[in-house]
Amino acid sequence: MLTPDSLPTNHARRGSLACVGLGMTLGSHLTPLARSHIEQADVVFAGLSDSIVELWLGRMHTDVRSLQPYYAEGKSRMKTYRQWVDLIMAEVRAGKKVCGVFYGHPGIFAWSPHKAIEVARAEGFKAHMEPGISAEDCLYADLGIDPGRFGCQHFEASQLLFYERRIDPTSYLVLWQVGLVGDLSLARFETGSAYRQVLVDVLSEDYPLDHEVIIYRGATLPIDQPRIRHVRLSDLPNTPITTEETVVLPPAMALKQNLAIRARLKALDEETAMA
Amino acid sequence: MSDTIDLLESIGQNAALRHATPEELVEVLVDAQASEVFKAAVATGESALLFKEFGHKPMQLPHTQGPGHEEEEQDEDDDAPRPVNPDHDQPPLPG
Repeated sequence: MLTPDSLPTNHARRGSLACVGLGMTLGSHLTPLARSHIEQADVVFAGLSDSIVELWLGRMHTDVRSLQPYYAEGKSRMKTYRQWVDLIMAEVRAGKKVCGVFYGHPGIFAWSPHKAIEVARAEGFKAHMEPGISAEDCLYADLGIDPGRFGCQHFEASQLLFYERRIDPTSYLVLWQVGLVGDLSLARFETGSAYRQVLVDVLSEDYPLDHEVIIYRGATLPIDQPRIRHVRLSDLPNTPITTEETVVLPPAMALKQNLAIRARLKALDEETAMA
Repeated sequence: MSDTIDLLESIGQNAALRHATPEELVEVLVDAQASEVFKAAVATGESALLFKEFGHKPMQLPHTQGPGHEEEEQDEDDDAPRPVNPDHDQPPLPG
């Protein structure tokens, strides 16, 4: 049997970083490789969504350091995330084998893991990311959506307000962090009804107000079921939405054939057949 | 009494238990000598009841910085909210 002790040790010890995902549901989604990174690390940092999941992680390693205390109401999350990178890098620079553990996938809607890996590599340390089962993965399974059928656009909800984005109402539209939509300060953990009304006003340019909207939350604990609610778009402002919930808009229009391109492809087929 | 975290992990890893009805799962938990709080959480569908056993620790979820903020170089000592600068737009890409 191969163990970490099987590896040659004739080189100076250097710090390293692995950022791994714990998946969304306790016990169900952790990959063997991610667990191995956790167990073989000297130090584990945890950016998780649930305190019970954090306790579970504590069973896998004796030195798990929660990143949660660095959040604070009124404090820019950008400052929090930079602190996380500093904490992680301090241990890497000290020669430790560091594992950053994040809920879901460590690279989706997660600034710090990407940044920490970038900084570590720039300083000559080994650093990489192991994927995890994300909220998006669970969403497809629980809602029965195949993104390949009509296509699927994903946006952090505030992007639709801050920037001029092009929505394709023939595809699915998935909006993340609607509970925080319109927060320019980065210092709040929720906005509110008036902010969601602005979002609805923007969406109403592409969708009828009676269009069905799905509000989704995956299961974090294995005794939970996914939470799935259906409301009309016009009801979204007055429907309480938490940070962990995701809003899905099914297609509002049928796909339209591109007759010009189809004709061009047909001509190509004929040319190819004659050649 | 069985350890609740261990039981949660076992349920999460077991295809039959993960998708069992609450009634079926409560039976399993009775046999496993689970805590009363755990059995109540399963029976009622209120997993938040587990906070009675472990204490409540509020957790924040957002791990992204929001669009346009990534390239803003803020003074480390300055927490004052700043507007988005569209010229620095480098929005995160959901993967």
